[in-house]
Amino acid sequence: MGSYDPSFAKEVFENVDFGDEIKMCMQCGVCAASCPLSLQMDHSPRQIFTLIRAGKREEVLGSQAIMLCTSCYTCEVRCPRKIPVIDVMHGLANYALKHDFVPRKDTANFGGKFWDQIYRIGRIDEKDLSRRYFFAEGIIEGIKGLLGFSDIGLRLFLHKRIKPLPERKIKGIISLRKMLDKAEKMRGRGGASV
Amino acid sequence: MSDIQTTNQSILVVGGGMSGITAALEAAEAGYDVVLVEKNPYLGGRVAQLHQYFPKLCPPNCGLEINFKRMRINPKIRFFTMAEVEKISGEEGDYDVGIKISPRYVNEKCTCCGKCTEVCEVELGNPFNFGMDKIKAAYLPHEFAFPMRYVMDPSIAGTEEGKKCHDACEYGAIDLDMSETHFDLKVGAIVWAAGWEPYDASKVEYYGFGEYKNVITNVMLERLASFNGPTEGKILRPSDGKTVKTVAFIQCAGSRDENHLPYCSGICCLASMKQATYIREQYPDCDVSIFFIDIRALDRLEDFYTKVQEDEKITFIKSKIANITEDEETGALMLEGENTNTGEQIRMNFDLVVLATGMVPNKINTAPSPNVSCDEYGFLTYDPEKAGIYGAGCVRRPTDVASSVQDATAAALKAIQSIARR
Repeated sequence: MGSYDPSFAKEVFENVDFGDEIKMCMQCGVCAASCPLSLQMDHSPRQIFTLIRAGKREEVLGSQAIMLCTSCYTCEVRCPRKIPVIDVMHGLANYALKHDFVPRKDTANFGGKFWDQIYRIGRIDEKDLSRRYFFAEGIIEGIKGLLGFSDIGLRLFLHKRIKPLPERKIKGIISLRKMLDKAEKMRGRGGASV
Repeated sequence: MSDIQTTNQSILVVGGGMSGITAALEAAEAGYDVVLVEKNPYLGGRVAQLHQYFPKLCPPNCGLEINFKRMRINPKIRFFTMAEVEKISGEEGDYDVGIKISPRYVNEKCTCCGKCTEVCEVELGNPFNFGMDKIKAAYLPHEFAFPMRYVMDPSIAGTEEGKKCHDACEYGAIDLDMSETHFDLKVGAIVWAAGWEPYDASKVEYYGFGEYKNVITNVMLERLASFNGPTEGKILRPSDGKTVKTVAFIQCAGSRDENHLPYCSGICCLASMKQATYIREQYPDCDVSIFFIDIRALDRLEDFYTKVQEDEKITFIKSKIANITEDEETGALMLEGENTNTGEQIRMNFDLVVLATGMVPNKINTAPSPNVSCDEYGFLTYDPEKAGIYGAGCVRRPTDVASSVQDATAAALKAIQSIARR
């Protein structure tokens, strides 16, 4: 066992959005067992928090768990120390991506495409989003991906959940972009209040 | 009630549990006039409901009996059951207190012959056993009730049923004309020893208390283990009355939780360990699991923790359980959590689950509230600037019986000082 190194914990407390909330964790484990995705996670939220304290930078920022959170809020509602677990997990995911860790490539990819589309037209066009998402890895991967979901796509179409024509931009797209730009700028300053 | 003469040299003790009885006795035995009021129809409070004390595992009744005897022989103490404080005004050395007495419908002629219970056909959930069994609407609160006198529930007092009980009584002890009475007391100091309520476990939704029959609380298990409880001391599952092979204790069910009680209730770790010994004594093959965040066995109480750990059939698992689901057919309960020592997911089945619920202090509930200081959780604190009303026992902090007795003795001394200062 190496000596105790608090530098990563300090890095998280100071730089990750909501990172200092981790200090409140008393390691009860209620988040882990409340999480619908805990069985898919390599580390439960509780384990992530204790790994941060233990200085395991690579293990934390490379963990699938920090990008698997679906914001269901069960852990956050139950946390006896009122830690905003979801914000912490998203903060860690963002921090990981900024520092060239890509714990889940497809999740990061989807998130990026989703954000791009919101910025471009102010709303989500499922057809366009899934096309861009599936083809991000090349044409062959794209066709494979689309075929895998063709059944769902067809049924959504038959139930009129997908419109045949492309979605148009929202009316106030210029104002929305201004807001998003400003939010991005505030985040750059470390403001977690965005 | 015009016969109650008190002066500003008298002390009022509110609450007839172990803390209140102790404060009243200590002050009376030091020569002061004491009036004690108790909300229930009997004295003894929560202690009367316990099966055994930790760590000595002895019955609480003997201690209570000794105190009741001290009360009986001391003319300085007067006590009222079914009595509540309605208002408090004034200041240290000079309080006016309004007391309300609810009708008992049974007077001092009662010999506890039980004829009224025999003829009464109306049944109620038994409050002494947390509704786990039924009692008749004319009843003795419990076997060792002090004062040893029956009570009639107000729901039948004005009915034919009440009249039937009245007619059955050979001693003229049932008085259906009793009504609520009010009287005022003048006292110099007040000891508030109103005790505590178990935290409402149904508020911790993911444990299913109130929905799953075999999820019970620690105070309920205490009654199940008691010889004068609903099962005469046999620990049986509420759903089907069967014996148990696996029992789980869930610690901090509401305590140490910002969404419920942010504080540690202090006694639940020891209480669950004590209750684990009840189960092990009755069922040599039963496996007991205690799920905890941290075990808080302070000071010499750690010896008890060590002793319980030596039992191979009692397992301590570090985990806050996050979910309970019930098998509707068998009534078995599946617990989910994360073992925070090993990181493994827990999915275990149990016959019975006991929630270690915490303590909520019974605050001073008169309006307007007198000049006292409380902490952020509602526990009374001591502020020399606000002398005159003193908390004793669990209204000051969640604590065990031995500490409550010490605290009540201290409160009695403070109350005497408030009078002596005059």
